[in-house]
Amino acid sequence: MKGIKPVTRKEILHIFRDPKSLIIIFIMPVMMVFIYGYAISFDLNNINIGVLDYSGDEISKKFIGKFLNNSYFTRIGIESGEQESIKTYEKKLKRGDIDEILIIPFGFSKMIKGGIPVEVGFVIDGSDSNSANIIYQYNEMIIFDFLEEYQNIRDIFNVNTKIYFNPELKSTYFFIPGLIAVLLLMISALLTSLSISREKESGSIDLIFISPIKSYEIIIGKTIAYIFVAFTVESIILFFSRFWFGIPIKGNLLVLFGFSLIYIFTGLALGILISIAATDQKTSMLATLLVTMLPSIMLSGFIFPLSSLSQVLRWISNIIPATYFLKIIRGVVLKGASVSDFLVDGLILILMGVVLIFVAVRKFSKMRKTT
Amino acid sequence: MKIIYLLKKEFLEIFRQRELLFMMIIAPIFQLIILGYIVTTDINNIPVGIIDLSTGKSTSRIINRITGSDLFDVKYIAEVNRDTVKELKKGDVKAIILFRNPVKTGKAIPRYPEIQILMDGVDSNSSRIAAGYFNGILRNFILDDLEILGISPAVKGKPLIRFNPELRSINYMGPGIVALLLTTITLFITSISLVREKEQQTIDTLLISRLRPYEIYIGKSLPMGIVGIIDMGIGVLVAVVWFDIPVRGSLLILLISSIIYLTAILSYGMLISIFSTSQQQALFFSWFSLITFILLSGLFTPVENIPAGLKWLVSINPLSYLIRIIREIFLKGNGIEQFYGDLLSLGLITLVISSISIFNFKKFISK
Repeated sequence: MKGIKPVTRKEILHIFRDPKSLIIIFIMPVMMVFIYGYAISFDLNNINIGVLDYSGDEISKKFIGKFLNNSYFTRIGIESGEQESIKTYEKKLKRGDIDEILIIPFGFSKMIKGGIPVEVGFVIDGSDSNSANIIYQYNEMIIFDFLEEYQNIRDIFNVNTKIYFNPELKSTYFFIPGLIAVLLLMISALLTSLSISREKESGSIDLIFISPIKSYEIIIGKTIAYIFVAFTVESIILFFSRFWFGIPIKGNLLVLFGFSLIYIFTGLALGILISIAATDQKTSMLATLLVTMLPSIMLSGFIFPLSSLSQVLRWISNIIPATYFLKIIRGVVLKGASVSDFLVDGLILILMGVVLIFVAVRKFSKMRKTT
Repeated sequence: MKIIYLLKKEFLEIFRQRELLFMMIIAPIFQLIILGYIVTTDINNIPVGIIDLSTGKSTSRIINRITGSDLFDVKYIAEVNRDTVKELKKGDVKAIILFRNPVKTGKAIPRYPEIQILMDGVDSNSSRIAAGYFNGILRNFILDDLEILGISPAVKGKPLIRFNPELRSINYMGPGIVALLLTTITLFITSISLVREKEQQTIDTLLISRLRPYEIYIGKSLPMGIVGIIDMGIGVLVAVVWFDIPVRGSLLILLISSIIYLTAILSYGMLISIFSTSQQQALFFSWFSLITFILLSGLFTPVENIPAGLKWLVSINPLSYLIRIIREIFLKGNGIEQFYGDLLSLGLITLVISSISIFNFKKFISK
């Protein structure tokens, strides 16, 4: 164990010798927190709607009013039905100027008064299927609203919804703690991914090979050096999320840091394993990116909920460390969960880290023997 | 013509390393396929718990509708109350639906239960969608019941969906992912191309050779450009053959736009390479840029809601234009007259980036 300390010291010196990289590592999270905090949101509030009213009377206006007096829709134009206008609207829909066309047929009011069911047309831009789905739901909701009033069927149901943990449904609550999980894994893995392959490329690896330091000491020493960098990144994001965006940290901070330590260790171990396997920095870097970036953004539940994925994809998501940590960090920060809620997840992360570091040490000492 | 030799050397370097070649050509295909399936997934199978404390008959009919739909994955149906907050905290269910006997009976049809939905709001988007789904189920339930009583709804919506009638999200996301993978690979490899020679000191050999500066510049960036175009081709092929995404517009214009875009990315990569002193620096610079490009491109999350103060970041992001153009071509089949503005902006950005890049390269060479 004596060999660990000097290796760590050397690696720390190396980190500080390159302040440009260090600055990027620390600025990156700040920038991402701000982009996610201000710019990214799934909320769909501005549905641009074009209205074609072929009926043009009291009831149809009342119906249209239901759409427009509502925070979801923004009216782009109402044209009473001339032949030309449908074409103009279709063109606008194609260009993306409007998202939906509402067509109220001729004789709308007469039929309603006569008790004949009327069909109202909606032409929806389906290119973004998620938005289209939401627009469709809004339409149905508003029609029902109109029916309730018109046919006097109010108050049949008494539904009351109570939302926990994020009562205003802000997307920053969802994204920013999740961002810590994604960034920590990527940064930890990227940091160590170059640590061995760099020495290979410059040839200094031979000096390490012939030194009396044991293989596991080298691997662990190099890993420890980067832990504090990763912790700084985490603290920066937590700081901004708490004091700038006002996201409360409901759980115990110590619990969070304990779990983070395990998670960071797993990430660093992953990076160092790739670094040992790769022949040069270019390869190890690309491999790390392929393994960490898209999987931990897409397959961890960071953006897309895991429960909707197919079985095969859910299996894959089980081998991604970010999956577990995302659950933990959202639980601790937003819901105030405690250690006992995430015992299994924590154990799996530890297991992953230990296996990775074990394979890394074995591979490294094998390489040492053969050269 | 001496440039041929440099190109040959650069290509050799790529082909010499099998694993690198694998990561540049084969891995993107796998990623595209996996990502394709992820983004295809619309939100469904939302894990919910049901607690039924009511005695009315209509409750079980509503529960049947919930269990019968793909939208919800009912984890349990209990008849006694449970520790709901603890369950939501653990995260095994996203919502708990509670049915109770009504305190006061409703107007038109009595005997309906009182419903309380306890929801985990952390994933704001899914929560909103889940609530929408549930309300939809209830609305249909009421309308069907009214129908039985002889009250038919006066107005019905008849939706008509344009451009993507089956609402497949892959049609929207797939082409964009191709652009993303293309960017990842070309940007990283180019950004370390010069640094590597700097680190190994082979750069001097290159500089004192009889190659002209522009020949070095092209020789260093063109190979990855070609790899990028190949990747793009494969990506489009996978999108069309595997995922059955229709191409409605002109592939030629797509190719031209991609080349313009690649020029921007390669020049940007070269710029990083000129300013970095180690491969690690280059790696972190390009990583930083890549993530920013992706986030502000509108690929995964809409950019329409971005506040005006940050909008300019989107408008200088080359990826956002490429993604818009790709979607126009793939989904809407729009001709160039619909998006020439985007193409022009992309061209302008490319021009600016490559001028800065070449200018700095000349300065670097003369040192």
